[in-house]
Amino acid sequence: MSFLGFGGGAPQISSEQKIQAAEAELDMVTTMFNQLVDSCHKKCFDRNYAEGDLTKNESLCIDRCVAKYFDANVKVGESMQSLGKSGTLNRK
Amino acid sequence: MDQLNYKEQQEFQKIVEQKQMNDFMRLYTSLVDRCFNDCVNDFTSNKLSSREETCLNKCAEKFLKHSERVGSRFQEQNQMLMNQMRGGN
Repeated sequence: MSFLGFGGGAPQISSEQKIQAAEAELDMVTTMFNQLVDSCHKKCFDRNYAEGDLTKNESLCIDRCVAKYFDANVKVGESMQSLGKSGTLNRK
Repeated sequence: MDQLNYKEQQEFQKIVEQKQMNDFMRLYTSLVDRCFNDCVNDFTSNKLSSREETCLNKCAEKFLKHSERVGSRFQEQNQMLMNQMRGGN
């Protein structure tokens, strides 16, 4: 339909592209979440499994681990951005 | 990504369901692997010892609780990040 100049002007994104973008975003969040679960499990638990419940210390460790993971995410994003702006990343 | 129309949302929903299935399988196989590696190290018999079995149960239970807790914190942090972005602009 948009071939006939329906909504001309604003660039039209096809349905397929929109869904692909949504899918990519979902993939990114899923990957990040899975890595987060994995990393914090490595850092917060010993391998004895004395009990099935989370201990107080483990729970505290998880909460801090997730918060720090997000902070690290932001910091890495910022430094990548500033490297990108200064052109360091684009030089071969 | 919330500007998908009804038809697009339905198509996306199908993709999400497929991915959830895959994700569940991945969770399952990785949990088996994790708990096997942490709990089963003695091969003087081909049967799981009662100690190993207890360890496996606790390992699985603990991991699922861990994952649940990470999930809630993840959501909270995400929400905070969104609010910051909205407030910052």
